[in-house]
Amino acid sequence: MKKFLLSNRASLFTLLALILLPFIVGLMDGESPMAVFANESGNAKFAQGLAIEIFILALYALSFDLIFGITGMLSFGHSMFFGVGAYLTGISLKTLGLSLPATLGLVFIAAIVQAILFGLVLPRVKGITFALVTLGLGSVFHIVVMSSELGPYTGADVGLQGVIAPAFISPANERIRFYFIALSILILVYLLYKRFVDSPTGRVCIAIRENEGRARMLGYNTFYFKLAALTLSSLTAALAGFMHTLYQPIVSPNVASMGFTVTALLIILIGGVGTLNGALVGAVVYRLLDFGLRRYIGESASFISGAVYVLFVLFIPFGIVGTWRAKSFQINQGWQRLRKLFG
Amino acid sequence: MNTFLRKNTVLLITLAIITALFIAAAQGMEKKDFVITLLRGLAVGSITFLVASGFSLIFGLLDVLNLAHGTLFMIGAYIGWTVFVRPDTFVDLLTPFALILSGFALADVYPLLATRIRLGLTTKRILPWALILVSILIFSFILPQYPISIWDVENYGQSPVTYSFMANSGTRLPAPIAAFTEISAPLALIGLVLASMIGAFGLSLFNSETQQQFKLTWKNFAAFAILLIVALLTLIFNESLTAALTGLSSNWLFLIAIAVATLSGAGLGALIESTLIRPLYIRPIYQLMLTLGMSAIGIEIVRSVWGRPEFVMPKPAFFNGTGGVCPATNFADWWANNCSTILLLDGRVRVYNEIFIPIIGVIVLISIWMLLQRTRLGMVIRAGVQDREMVEALGINVRRVFTMVFGLGVGLAALGGILAAPSMGLSNAMGESLFLNALIALAIGGLTNYPGAALGSVLVGLIQQFIIKYGQIGIAIPFTDIIFKPTPPLVPASTVLLMVIILLILPNGLLGKKE
Repeated sequence: MKKFLLSNRASLFTLLALILLPFIVGLMDGESPMAVFANESGNAKFAQGLAIEIFILALYALSFDLIFGITGMLSFGHSMFFGVGAYLTGISLKTLGLSLPATLGLVFIAAIVQAILFGLVLPRVKGITFALVTLGLGSVFHIVVMSSELGPYTGADVGLQGVIAPAFISPANERIRFYFIALSILILVYLLYKRFVDSPTGRVCIAIRENEGRARMLGYNTFYFKLAALTLSSLTAALAGFMHTLYQPIVSPNVASMGFTVTALLIILIGGVGTLNGALVGAVVYRLLDFGLRRYIGESASFISGAVYVLFVLFIPFGIVGTWRAKSFQINQGWQRLRKLFG
Repeated sequence: MNTFLRKNTVLLITLAIITALFIAAAQGMEKKDFVITLLRGLAVGSITFLVASGFSLIFGLLDVLNLAHGTLFMIGAYIGWTVFVRPDTFVDLLTPFALILSGFALADVYPLLATRIRLGLTTKRILPWALILVSILIFSFILPQYPISIWDVENYGQSPVTYSFMANSGTRLPAPIAAFTEISAPLALIGLVLASMIGAFGLSLFNSETQQQFKLTWKNFAAFAILLIVALLTLIFNESLTAALTGLSSNWLFLIAIAVATLSGAGLGALIESTLIRPLYIRPIYQLMLTLGMSAIGIEIVRSVWGRPEFVMPKPAFFNGTGGVCPATNFADWWANNCSTILLLDGRVRVYNEIFIPIIGVIVLISIWMLLQRTRLGMVIRAGVQDREMVEALGINVRRVFTMVFGLGVGLAALGGILAAPSMGLSNAMGESLFLNALIALAIGGLTNYPGAALGSVLVGLIQQFIIKYGQIGIAIPFTDIIFKPTPPLVPASTVLLMVIILLILPNGLLGKKE
């Protein structure tokens, strides 16, 4: 028990900090924890909102890391997974008037179906061609969503508006509950992913990334393993889309565009490809950077963020987590030296 | 012959189906509609081809997916616009650019200099950064004060939109003549040369570990001297040069704009390859992120320099005649009057968009094909696409070829940009849609296959234009009374669907090499 606590102290501290975050922000602003619980508007509520957005992004980036970082399939249609979840939730809640569990079930079924759709093209194409085919599927979905024929359902290029989340989870009045639900979903999915990667199935997925021919030589039918990774990833991304729709009052067609796939790619490249916790760190860095730049610099923010990405690629190529792991020995040594210096 | 048929059955069947579809499509419309649609498809295909061929050359030889290609296409268009509409700005910019380049022309001299200096380890590590920092500081001190007569994005009366509008109606706004007021001329010029030399020296120190033999020849110094002389001459004869360019007929000015845009695109490409992409050949995925970042930076630079609103670029006078006998009925008539439109089989065809651009496309196609098949450089490129390490082993400087190919590819994209500008207009988003088109065209034709790029581009252009045309006239579905009109979203969707279907049948594209 003690050993478990010691070896995981960093993650546990992070978890504790995340649980206490709304209250700490509230206290810094002079709000009592009771006021935070009552969802009174203020900085605490705002920080929760930002954190929920980060959780959803992290969930989405995690699902991309599974197929790109772990299994080694570069898919440019990943935003379709997210978009299907987001749009289906909105349509089912608004137009069809289904209940929340039924909606979730529908989203999961759709996620499995689209994973199989992507799986259909898997045996045929590899590498960069797979990237192009998925790009094609993703852009067809984007075009369908944007088309004016489906306007009554998807809102065409304006986006799906006026989705009302059920009262007990409403992001406006019950945000603290939403915050903890999102946090626990993220933690559960993260643990599930860690277990998946450490399981024999996950090991084969890593083998496929390293050398697919050799994995097949060893007798594994790589198709099934790829399909398993794709299905799990699709389910997670659809779940992220589901939460996105519940949290945001509007689903913009941008979440189905190529740009949103690139967002996932940037997040995991910032955090570290194939590290899983890199996706979490990357989501935090990406969202805060984006938020800060847009707030303090304004319109030309994407210039700075573009420059940051170029610098990242040139000087921190393995991402934050990857570099931390590779250099942890040196960092530890430097830390010891620093401690000695100050006695 | 029999083996050829057996090996390529799938390809031949696919091609036959596509041809049959086109014939069926041609049956449904009148002859004049068909001619116009065909020509428009070829025009879109040619522009797509210019982007796609550069991308395919770069991807084939360097294995770099250059996602900034669309942005570079756009930058080419904007540079061409500057030369065409504001020659005075162009002349003003020549001097500082030549001076900034001059230091880098001496690149082979610095390593020799570096070996003469003995330095401690720490100094050796800090020195390059310190030198680059100093050079950046000097640049940032001088360049904002350097006088350049330029438009003003904030002020509508002085914005690029107004200048384009005036140029389109044949008049030129009187542009303010910039003069050295804030900084004295000799100080600025000498400062720029010094800063450029310091910066180039700093950069050269980074790869001082590689032991290469540099021979000093007169060529290094000649390039340096020529750049300095060009800078000084353009500075001294600034006004007369501006007057000469402004007085030039718009046809010649357009040719100059094409040349400048293409050359600066090629130079930009070579610069990007040699500084940013070269360290990343060992980490292919990171090139994606780098080029994505560059694309964001490029769009933002264009927005801050030329502003966000869209504007048009006037066509050169050669293609812009109106009134009188226009539209011309035959080519002799057109030649005499320079009409902007011509009647072909009773259809009004815009000469620049639908005849000139496809011709340029064919010329580029043939000349790059000759370059690849008939020259030594082309031989090295083709060999490099097949087996890069073997080419290196044969003692060919592949790095230099890489830089040249990257420059060539980006130059082609910039050429596409300036050619497309008069027909498409200039906007911040013009690169993206075209880049997606080019990517689809390449996937259809075969990613690293040069004729495949041409075939794919033409297919994409034709399909899009046919669907746009059928959106106007509608398709009568047989045995029913329904007339189906394809909606605008179907235009990109159709090409994407075609790409997915073709890739599922032939994973390497139509003409791609089988693995």
